[in-house]
Amino acid sequence: MTLIARRLAGHLARGFVMILVVATISFFIINNIPGDPMAARYEKLIEQGMAPEAARQAVKVLYGFQPDGSLWQQYADFIGGLFRLDLGVSVSRPGTPVLDVLTDAAKWTVLPVLAGTLLSFLVGIVLGVYAAVKRAGKLGDALSISGSLLHGIPQYVLGMLLVVIFATLTGLLPADGSVDILYEPGWNAGYLGSLVEHAVLPVLTYALSAYGGWILAMKSSVVTVLGDDFILAAELRGMKRSIVFRYIARNAILPLFTMLALSLGLLLGGAVFIEKIFNYPGLGWLLIGAVNDRDYALMGGAFLLITAGTILANIIADLFYTVIDPRVRSGEEAS
Amino acid sequence: MSATLIPETGSAASALRRNFWRGVWRVMRRKPSRMVGVVILAGFVLMAVLGPMLLPEHLPDDPGAITQPPSWEHWLGTDPQGRDVIALVVKGSRYVLLTAAITALITVVVGTAIGLFSGFRRGRWDTVLMRLTDMKLTIPGLPLLLVLATVWRFGSPWQMGLVLGLLGWGGVARAVRAQTLSLRERGFIEAARGLGLSTTHIIGRELLPSMAPYIAMNMLISVTGAVYSQVGLFFLGVLPYESDNWGVMLNLAVFQAGAMITPNALGYLLGPLLAILLLTLAIVLVVDAMDEIFNPRLREE
Repeated sequence: MTLIARRLAGHLARGFVMILVVATISFFIINNIPGDPMAARYEKLIEQGMAPEAARQAVKVLYGFQPDGSLWQQYADFIGGLFRLDLGVSVSRPGTPVLDVLTDAAKWTVLPVLAGTLLSFLVGIVLGVYAAVKRAGKLGDALSISGSLLHGIPQYVLGMLLVVIFATLTGLLPADGSVDILYEPGWNAGYLGSLVEHAVLPVLTYALSAYGGWILAMKSSVVTVLGDDFILAAELRGMKRSIVFRYIARNAILPLFTMLALSLGLLLGGAVFIEKIFNYPGLGWLLIGAVNDRDYALMGGAFLLITAGTILANIIADLFYTVIDPRVRSGEEAS
Repeated sequence: MSATLIPETGSAASALRRNFWRGVWRVMRRKPSRMVGVVILAGFVLMAVLGPMLLPEHLPDDPGAITQPPSWEHWLGTDPQGRDVIALVVKGSRYVLLTAAITALITVVVGTAIGLFSGFRRGRWDTVLMRLTDMKLTIPGLPLLLVLATVWRFGSPWQMGLVLGLLGWGGVARAVRAQTLSLRERGFIEAARGLGLSTTHIIGRELLPSMAPYIAMNMLISVTGAVYSQVGLFFLGVLPYESDNWGVMLNLAVFQAGAMITPNALGYLLGPLLAILLLTLAIVLVVDAMDEIFNPRLREE
């Protein structure tokens, strides 16, 4: 247990450093925007007869930093705000703190991506086992090829093809927004039905684009395990096929779980293209909007949140592996 | 003595080379699909190099035929200015392929250098470099590109390729380091070291050649990555529209011509989509063929 605690402490320290690094990067990117828009705005407000203090506040609201003072002073301000979870105020949504905008958008990203990931994971591993066992046959071949193809096609191409097929040509499903605005939000059938209906195509796009990776990974993992001696030994001892199968599945799925934990790190930032195509109001959609509106505080905040999610998932993946794989655990304790 | 030796090694090397090309030819012929990959790829390169030269600087527009569905005159229809979609795809291919080439070059050179150094020297520098690589791999690439779009001008292929290359070497560095670590324990490297050969000789003449196919495959894979990212970035509409790129076409087709609402503009959407799919397919086939040529376990002797 102390071992896991020690690992966790190390990971958290590294994750903390990473977040500081990313915050610093976004600070300097925003600070280096050509033409120094902050100074220009400040000068302009002064010219319009605003008091220096009021002008400074106005510019701080716009960009999240003080417009004057030394660079280090501004930097310390920014990082200090970060510790208080103060990410500044959004410009494109006047008066709303960035943190509120982000938490509101996060649910639109997390739920569909989670659903898409789990769906593709389940289908991918089941078909992956099948493709590995029947790899000489026609169907196994077809499964592998479908995996390679779907793995190779960019997400946005897949999304657009689905829109063309299911929305433009047949009109079966909606492909715009997250819910029909005609319905009253709440726990009524119309609203929930509309939510689900709007989520089908984004989730399907995500699942299809992720499925290729899972089936290929599971297939190669099963093929490796199939060649192990203990499987042969189990077969020679005349074990039931179902038990042998359980041996195979348990060993082959281990590396896949790590990949699953890692892919959950993309929960927050993995659906940028899908959200753009389906006009789905998640974090990626928010980030694109912030970049287009030059809403720097919101942009920096969204980028930071997405990165923090990835870092967290990396930590979880590593700890998870320590917990579920006895080999890693004993290996660590022996050393 | 050296006079007799040199021709011998020379002819041995040329025989080896001849055998290699014969092997390539055999693998290609056995599965014609791989030949198709090479042919498509060559076609794209020709299109990017020669295509824009054959077309006028400003494509002729036709206000009388805007956003037309495919017809005999315009095989994939026309855009909202009445320009031919296929001509637009050809024009856009130069930006896309040049960027991809620059990205792949930077990715491979930086990634290989860092991976080799890290794996060969080991010790403290290895730890530092790999920590850095891990950190770089943790930062999600697409969101970072979006943030960069506010400060960096992606107007020319060079600007785009430079950024994509400098963001993309992490994976190659890790892979090359792993290969170096496993190769440096092999007999032929130990023999070279025992002979007292210089480090430059060991790295340049022994390590690199045995890793070359592996690196070349990584290079092709980073080409697909570069195509997706740049087209995607333009598609998201965060960059200025003035460049000729398939992503600009996709963005205009979807968000201005309304290709998702009216079937009339479908051709405009399909042009760049088909180009991306074909290019992906070609690269997948070529990587597959290279895998078979260089990976002895997969060879069907």
